Amino acid sequence: MKILIVEDEAGLRDSIEAYFTGADSICETANDFHTALSKVSVYRYDCIILDLTLPQGNGLDIIRHLKANQHNDGVLIISAKNSLDDRLTGLDLGADDYLTKPFHLSELRSRVTAIVRRRSFNGNNNLLFNEIDIDLTAKTVKINNQLVKFTRKEYSLLLYFIANKGKVISKSAIAEHLWGDSIDIADNFDFIYSHIKNIRKKLVEAGGQDYIQAAYGMGYKFTEA
Amino acid sequence: MKLLNKYNRLNILVTVTIMFVTGIIYYYTISRILTNQIDKDLILEENEVFSYVNLNHRLPDVYQSNHQQILFTLLGNKQITRRFLDTVYRETGDNDLEAGRALISSVKVNGQNYRILVTQSKVETEDLIQIIFLITIGVIVILLVVLMVLNRVILKSIWQPFYKVLTQVKQFNLTDHPSISSIPSSIDEFTELDKAVTAMAGRVKGDYENLKAFTENASHELMTPISVINSKLDTLVQTDEFTDKQSKLLNDLYATVARLTRLNKSMLLLSKIENKVIRDNQEVNIKDIAEDCLYLHEEIIQQKNITLQVHLEDKQVQANKLLIEVLLNNLISNAIKHNHENGDITLRLNHESLSVSNSGNSSINFDHALKRFQKSDGSEGIGLGLTLCKQVCDNYGFTFSYGYTNNMHTFSVIF
Repeated sequence: MKILIVEDEAGLRDSIEAYFTGADSICETANDFHTALSKVSVYRYDCIILDLTLPQGNGLDIIRHLKANQHNDGVLIISAKNSLDDRLTGLDLGADDYLTKPFHLSELRSRVTAIVRRRSFNGNNNLLFNEIDIDLTAKTVKINNQLVKFTRKEYSLLLYFIANKGKVISKSAIAEHLWGDSIDIADNFDFIYSHIKNIRKKLVEAGGQDYIQAAYGMGYKFTEA
Repeated sequence: MKLLNKYNRLNILVTVTIMFVTGIIYYYTISRILTNQIDKDLILEENEVFSYVNLNHRLPDVYQSNHQQILFTLLGNKQITRRFLDTVYRETGDNDLEAGRALISSVKVNGQNYRILVTQSKVETEDLIQIIFLITIGVIVILLVVLMVLNRVILKSIWQPFYKVLTQVKQFNLTDHPSISSIPSSIDEFTELDKAVTAMAGRVKGDYENLKAFTENASHELMTPISVINSKLDTLVQTDEFTDKQSKLLNDLYATVARLTRLNKSMLLLSKIENKVIRDNQEVNIKDIAEDCLYLHEEIIQQKNITLQVHLEDKQVQANKLLIEVLLNNLISNAIKHNHENGDITLRLNHESLSVSNSGNSSINFDHALKRFQKSDGSEGIGLGLTLCKQVCDNYGFTFSYGYTNNMHTFSVIF
C-alpha cells in the first residue's frame, strides 16, 4: 500500500515512516502544509496519515481539497487534540478515522490497515492470512475452513497482530488496544498473557500454525515463519 | 452583630449620655437662674424694708402674702452676716412644707438691731424645673425613636449598594461565567468599593483564565513530545534482541509514558470541561457505555472474584460520549480498585439515576476525595478520577453524591 505521512514533528514522522516502510508498503512524507497539498494534488495514496496542526496551514484544508477534487484517498487524522476539539469536524469532512496523540505505532498501523482494507475490499470483506480466514463483517474466524469461536478481545487482538505482522508489539500497546488508554495498563499485563494463550490454543487446536512469538518479555510478534 | 444594631447601640449610647449630661447642666443652670430671680425678689423686699425704716424709723408691718413671708427678730448685740440660704417654706393655712429661699439680713431701727428673714416659696421654680425635665425626657425619647427609624431607613436605602455588592461577592464563583456586575451608587465610598470589587473579580478571573489556559496549553504541548517518545520506543523494540534486564527497563518506560499520557489527558480534559469548551453533544445511551465499560473491566473483575450485580435500564442523555465514558470508566474502575477480593459491585441505572456500589473497608471523606490529586493510600491512580466525575456531572447539571452504608461505598449520579 502507498501511504503519505503528513506530520511536522520530525521525530514522529521518521518513526512512522520507519515502521510502515516494508515489504508491502511505500511511504512518502510531507512536513508542511504546502508540500502535503502539492503531493495530494499529483499522487494518489491508499491512506494519508494527516496531522492537523501544520506549519502554514490546517490539515482539515487538505481533506477539503481531496473532497473538492473527488479524490478518494483514505484519511487518518492524527492530532494532539481529542474528540472535545475537532474530531467531529475532521470526520464530518470525510476523514476515515481519528487517532489521538500519543499513540502506539502498532495502533496506527492497525487503523491504517483497516482503512485500506475497507477501501479495497468492497463487498467481499474477508481477510485471508494463510489458513486463517476472517470475515470482517460478521466478525467470524475460520481456520482451515472450520469456524473457530473467538471472544471479542481475542478477535480484536488477532486482527491487530495480523495488521502488525513481523513487528514486535509491546504489552503496553496491546493493553491500550484492548482496554483503551483510560485504564492503568500495568493492571492488565497478566490478562494479555491469558488472551494470547487462548488465541494460540484456538489456532493450534484448529490445525493452524502458532504465529505468535513472545518477544523478550516485552511483547509479542506475529510472524509467518 | 449587624451594622444596624451596632450603629443603633452606639448612637443610642452617645445620644443618651449627651442628653443626660445636657439635662444635668440644663437643670443646674435653670435652677441657678431661677434662684437668682428669687434672690432678686428677696433683695427687693429687703430694700423695701430698708427704705421703710429710713422713712418711718420703725419696722414695717409684717404681712403675709401667698408666697412670701417676712420675719423680724430682735438681735441685741449680736451681729449677723447677710446671707442667702435654702430653707423650707410653710404655706399659710397649709401644713405642707415646700422648698423655699430665704435672705437673712439685719436692720437698725431706733438703735435696736433686728434680724430680717425674708422667705419665699420655690414651689413654682420647682414646678418649672419639673416641666423642663419632663420635656427634656420627652425630647430624648422622641429623638431616640426618630434616630432608630432613621437609621433603619438609612441603612435600608443608603447601604443598599453595599449589600448588593456583598451578595455578589458571596455568590462569586471562579468557574461560573457571569462575572460581578457593577452596582452604581451616588455615594463615593460605595462607588469605590464597587469599582474595587469589580476590578478584583476581573483580575482574579483573568489570572484564573490564564492559569487554565496555561494548563491546557502545557498539557497540549506535552502531547507531542510524549508521542515522539512513544513512537521511538515502538521503533526501538523492533531493532534487536533484548536482554531481560533491558526488557524490564523498556516495560517500565512504556508504563511510565502511559501514565504520563493518562495524567496529561486527564488534566487536559479537566481544563476543557472547566472552560466549557465541550462540543460534539449527541444522544448517548448510558446503558451501552456502561456495558462497554464492564466489558473492558471483565478480566480484573473475574480475577478479583468480584460478584457483579447489574441492573441496567435504557437511559439517553444529550452529552459528549467521551465524557460519559470517562465518568463511567472512573466510577467502575474505582469500584474495582478500592474493592477487596471476593467483594461485591452493584451497578444500577434507571431513568433518574446511576449508582455504583462496592464493598470496601471504611468510609471516605467525599469532599476531600473530590480535590485534585487526592489519592487513597495504596492507590496507583493519578488522583483525578473523582474530580473528573464531579466535573462531568457539574457540566451536565447532574448531581454527584456519595454514601456509605453496610460497608458499601455508593457513588450516585442523579440526572
